[in-house]
Amino acid sequence: MQRSDVKRLETVERRSREIAEEFGLSTTDVMFEIVSSQQMLEGMAYRFPTNFSHWTFGRDYERQRTIYEHTGGGLPYEVVWNFEVPRAFLMESNPFALNALVIAHVWGHVDFFLESRYLQRGRAFSDIAGEARSAAERFRGYEERYGKENMEKFIDAAMSIEWHQHPDPFFEEPDEEEMRERLIQRERAMLERTRDIHSQFKKPETKAEIREIEKRLKRLSRKTPPGPVYDLLWYITRKSPLPLEPWQQDVLSVVRSQARALSPNRKTKMLNEGWATYWHVRIMRRLFEEGILDAKEHGIFSDFHAKVTRPLRRDFNWYAIGPALYEYVRERWDRGQFGLEFEECGDSAKRAYWDTKVGKGREKIFELRSFYTDRMAIEHFFDADFIRRNDLYLYTETVDPQNGDIVDVIAEKDPETIRRMLKHAFVHYGTPVIRVEDGNHNQRSELYLVHEFDGFELDPAYRDRTLENIHELWGRAVHLETVIQGKRTLCTYNGRSVSTDTGSSADGLMEL
Amino acid sequence: MPIIRSDPVAQKGKKDAARHREKQKDAIRRQLPEIIARESIITSKKGKIVKVPIRIMDIPHFRPAQGSAGAGVGQGKGKAGGVIGRRPGTGKPGEAGDRPGEEYLETEIEMEELIEMMIEDLGLPRLEERKGEGMVAETRFKIRGIQKTGPWVLLDKRRSAREGLRRFWEFLHYLVKETGRDELACFDALEQTDGILADALELLKSGAYAPIHTVFEPFPIFYPDDLRFLEQKKDIEYHSQAVVFALMDTSGSMTDKKKYLARSALFWLAAFLRTIYERVEIRFIIHDARAEVVEEEEFFKKVLGGGTRAWTAYELAGGLMDSEYPVSEWNIYLWHFSDGEDFEPARAALEAKKLIERGISMFGYGEIEPSSSHSDSALLAAFKEILDVQVHWKEGFMVVAGRDMPFLAVAIQKKEHVHLALREFLDKERWGHATK
Repeated sequence: MQRSDVKRLETVERRSREIAEEFGLSTTDVMFEIVSSQQMLEGMAYRFPTNFSHWTFGRDYERQRTIYEHTGGGLPYEVVWNFEVPRAFLMESNPFALNALVIAHVWGHVDFFLESRYLQRGRAFSDIAGEARSAAERFRGYEERYGKENMEKFIDAAMSIEWHQHPDPFFEEPDEEEMRERLIQRERAMLERTRDIHSQFKKPETKAEIREIEKRLKRLSRKTPPGPVYDLLWYITRKSPLPLEPWQQDVLSVVRSQARALSPNRKTKMLNEGWATYWHVRIMRRLFEEGILDAKEHGIFSDFHAKVTRPLRRDFNWYAIGPALYEYVRERWDRGQFGLEFEECGDSAKRAYWDTKVGKGREKIFELRSFYTDRMAIEHFFDADFIRRNDLYLYTETVDPQNGDIVDVIAEKDPETIRRMLKHAFVHYGTPVIRVEDGNHNQRSELYLVHEFDGFELDPAYRDRTLENIHELWGRAVHLETVIQGKRTLCTYNGRSVSTDTGSSADGLMEL
Repeated sequence: MPIIRSDPVAQKGKKDAARHREKQKDAIRRQLPEIIARESIITSKKGKIVKVPIRIMDIPHFRPAQGSAGAGVGQGKGKAGGVIGRRPGTGKPGEAGDRPGEEYLETEIEMEELIEMMIEDLGLPRLEERKGEGMVAETRFKIRGIQKTGPWVLLDKRRSAREGLRRFWEFLHYLVKETGRDELACFDALEQTDGILADALELLKSGAYAPIHTVFEPFPIFYPDDLRFLEQKKDIEYHSQAVVFALMDTSGSMTDKKKYLARSALFWLAAFLRTIYERVEIRFIIHDARAEVVEEEEFFKKVLGGGTRAWTAYELAGGLMDSEYPVSEWNIYLWHFSDGEDFEPARAALEAKKLIERGISMFGYGEIEPSSSHSDSALLAAFKEILDVQVHWKEGFMVVAGRDMPFLAVAIQKKEHVHLALREFLDKERWGHATK
């Protein structure tokens, strides 16, 4: 890139920031870096500017590189990290207009980082980049000392359960003794109350209840964890009976904290990309109007914009559906298409032309970006109108008996079914809720996990291999209570094989 | 904020990508028999790229079953039931995808690499490329003499120079005789006229001659007649060639796995023969109750109907010898794979005997995973009875070898036996003398 191009990019950066602010977006200083295509691809694959070595990163790098090499004329990639000073990559070999587009896009993300209550939390991990860099260094040392294979096995195992965090993103796991104390106090308070009330006329049920509470109290004094724990890596790091060596604890805690830092991004992917796309169009339009970019560059910009926001036949394109959602919400709230009267109106013609000129659209989309996750947004705004307007469908894979080709076929266009599917897909962002119930099962330090069943059974092959990986971290038998073919089942991996016990009675299983 | 140029960092991506590739290869190794079964490894060209569908490598994690509800969400016009696209599946036509929803990635791998894996998988020895010094003279062309015309590359410089100098002296003596001048002047004139005798003579006779050279230096003068070229002749006598008749029983009981063993053994045998012979041809014959000559692809894919008569295949091989591969010009190797059931075993053995008596270099019979490991199959029993053979056991592996005849039968019960079978075949005594 020419020195003069860099100068011009700086102009674009300065002016686009001002425009973003005029639009009401929050900004902060951003470190834009011009990098080679390889650095860009690595940045995308490795989660952070520098990270430890792992084959999954290599896999993603390779995949991106193949796509890049088969696509001439640059790719509209952007990488921006939600650091204290956000950091973004611009690709050296990309055309100028494309880099301008990326800068405009980044301002949307930066506003989202600063204003989304979930992403604000991600910023609390602002040193995560530095940690990743030093972890990379330490991990290299471990590889040398403890063997590449051991390291890989251990990282694989940790990554297996990295997304199993507490469902509440603002929750901090308390210290175990603290939690025990709290639970004991609660039970005691209950006991007191039960004892006090009509103590002289105790009914048998009350007596039984008291005995129950006393039993629970007794159990609580020894139980680990005292209450359910959802952060699997957190618990295992502290309680694994292996015991874990310091380097292993380090690996677990690095993988865990990276996943925790990235988790808010996973939960707001559609809203975040949608927001950035929604605004880059508007910022770019202004840059062209002001003559900062020329007509020829407008052509290049339009091409890339169209490419990025193209609907995908077989995938959920965040860059298409995300901005469409903001447009849709803005329009509806501008025209007053909300509230009881609108909701209850059954006349579709009337609904279509409904316009109270209330003009609340802008306010509503800013609210959307501040307080919603993708799941909440889908729940609230993916109504039949939106789904139809955007031609969303569900498809299935079938196999052509002639030649073994996989043929994708539209299976479902019913908005309600699609909404239900999407909602489910987004509820836990693909990670079923699993809790640690007992870390000393059978009094033999075995691990007992419970899958909080929500109507969707686990993929059996993945389930069993995950249990094996957890065993790698725990060293003793690992149990998972789940539902298989409609029946409560206990899956156990004992270090050799997975066995399933579909309790003829549910007696063997923990009480839920 | 200023926009900065960042310093390149360590290239981690490549290294980790290589590790991923390594893991993929492990996955390929695990399904090697199926992959190999689909490819024409014996006759394929060097450097051929094979597309192999393998599952995307992933970290296992708890996830909802990829259910019947649908593979995913897409966007675009279309009615329910409309096809939105197709892509190559796992390559098994007719089989309802065993796990729809599993993500497959088509990865490319070089044929050589696959073969390398197969050789490793079966613990087979590696083969070196054929070297210059073979067992027989392998140059196709021999220099047989000298001629006056030919391509420039074959110009014999030494001989040509000698002829050129001879012409120089002839011209010089002629000029001295004709003009009466000394050798230096005549040489000088020849030099000035680029060796053209008539011009030199004219120059010396005219008054215009002025000497230039003062030192006498003979130089060759070439007329077309003076050039000498090496003469080459096609070398027929030393040419070495072999043909392999690959015979396979394709009755229904030969599974992919059995064929994998047969195919790997055949591949290896062919590769081995190529290290010895300059030219190796392979002809594929399949049979059930009838035999036919096919291409490699069909050889492994085709499943014929019921009934098994090995003699039809042996007879067909004999026919090919009559029409295309006379024993006088070809080293003939026949290798037959079957699981041993046969309707007319005695006739098969007699037909085999005929072939051996016609002077083929090797009659090999590989019995793959016979149904019983305790009693002989029909075919093997007939070979034992009709041919002059002896039986011995090596490492739990039965070898039936001909006494004074190039016959060898082995029973391959499991893949480890392929190696043992090939080792038997390689036994120097059996093939060492057989070169034509």
